[in-house]
Amino acid sequence: MRKYFRVWLQLSKCAIGSYLSNRLDAVTYLIGKLVRFAFFFLFLWTIFNYTDRLASYGRYEALFFFLTFNLIDVFAQAFLRGSYMLKIDIRTGWFDHAIAKPVNTLFWSLARLTDILDILFLLPIIGLLVYVGMKLPIMITLANIVLYLLLLATGLVIVVALHIITIALTVLVFESENFIWLYRESMTIGRLPPEIYSVGIRFVFTYLMPIIIIIAYPVKALLGRLTAIGFLTALIFMLVFFFGALAFWRISLKHYSSASS
Amino acid sequence: MKKYWAIFKISWQRQLTYRLNLLMGRLRNIIVLLLLYYVWLSLTLTSGKFSSYSQIELFTYVFGANLLRSVIFGSQSRQTASEINDGTFSIYLLRPLNHFGAVFARELAERSLYLFFAVIETLVLAFLLGVKFAAPAPATLSPIILCVLLSLCLYFVLSYLVSMLAFWTREADGPRFLFEWLLEFSSGAYFPLDILRGLIFTALSCLPFFYLIYFPLSIYLGKIAHGRIWLGLGIETAWLALSLWLIYVVWRRGLKKFTGEGI
Repeated sequence: MRKYFRVWLQLSKCAIGSYLSNRLDAVTYLIGKLVRFAFFFLFLWTIFNYTDRLASYGRYEALFFFLTFNLIDVFAQAFLRGSYMLKIDIRTGWFDHAIAKPVNTLFWSLARLTDILDILFLLPIIGLLVYVGMKLPIMITLANIVLYLLLLATGLVIVVALHIITIALTVLVFESENFIWLYRESMTIGRLPPEIYSVGIRFVFTYLMPIIIIIAYPVKALLGRLTAIGFLTALIFMLVFFFGALAFWRISLKHYSSASS
Repeated sequence: MKKYWAIFKISWQRQLTYRLNLLMGRLRNIIVLLLLYYVWLSLTLTSGKFSSYSQIELFTYVFGANLLRSVIFGSQSRQTASEINDGTFSIYLLRPLNHFGAVFARELAERSLYLFFAVIETLVLAFLLGVKFAAPAPATLSPIILCVLLSLCLYFVLSYLVSMLAFWTREADGPRFLFEWLLEFSSGAYFPLDILRGLIFTALSCLPFFYLIYFPLSIYLGKIAHGRIWLGLGIETAWLALSLWLIYVVWRRGLKKFTGEGI
């Protein structure tokens, strides 16, 4: 574990060096991310100038969904950015080097690039989460907060599993750059409370692509709206997705043909 | 003209070669469309309206924006930056064709293909969801078509202009990312801009992006008075002319900076 932390730290130092040497890119990317965040925030804020409820949720409750979506989404982009590079690695033959390295190939493929800008971006998101959390119109107990954090961790494990599935697909089916973007676009379903969607859409994004479990369940737990069955469902999904993704990754590696080397 | 037609046909074939990617890309589009549809459905469920828009108008806006995004927002002009940085741009300088024209032919090929898929997606989803659309006034049809054509050209020219930043720096991706998100929101691709009201709406209306999605859809929905339609089209044409002039200036200066690095 210590060895992997040291490898990750070294890779992150390299990433910082890269960002510092590409200052224009780094600054404009960060501003771009802030602009995207600010516009959606503004849109959601504006909606509540016309109405006081969005599918039974008030302004701050809806904002809490949006901020939790951002927290999970940005966290994954910060620490799992390597998965976006795998296609290039395979095309250029670099993936063969990754397999030959004395570190776990899966770890390398997921974490070889740390997005420092997203780590910076996490700070205002966490600050806003605390601020909006204090504005929520209900009494938040310690148990609610613990459940929220537990389900957040569960959601993050599922997100890691989804990233493993996308990189396994990249190894198996080279023409797959849109898989990761399909996941990213699916995540946007979690920007808003799931009650706005139809039953069919909710079924798909709970049980087939578990975005609602990842984002909405922690928020519902904090708001005291999640049942014990919901909590158990999240745990079961975490285990099934994580171990299923690992098995799928192993299968994909066995089929890797090293065609570009 | 024949060589640009050949580029158009080759680009079609290239797009259709990676069919799985194309399908995944369209699936992403459908997810965004569904998200926006359900947001507006939820907000208009009880009163049947939101701000100055009826439910039918909002659905028309969301589905119309999906179609216009497919026609207007291209990706080919983005490649210009990487072509300049990796040296492949030099190939265009040696060939008897205009780089701007070649990229525009590629862009038109991509747009026509994406429009085809967007029309099918829109019709199928509208049928499945039981969505009804507002009809435009017959007199507004020609301004709408003209506006969409101008928007297609304006987006391409602005995007090409931003890519030309690569003549001066290898770091053109960040500015492009910022440009694209500013453009996505300021164009009204996600929601009608006038729900923002006040100063923000006034500020956005001063930008060229305002005319890309929001303006043609507002003409379609009859939200803009007849006299102001032609004024708006005039302003959009002026933005296009200004951007084309800037491309001319930047191109001449950029070529002097171009070192052919990466050949």
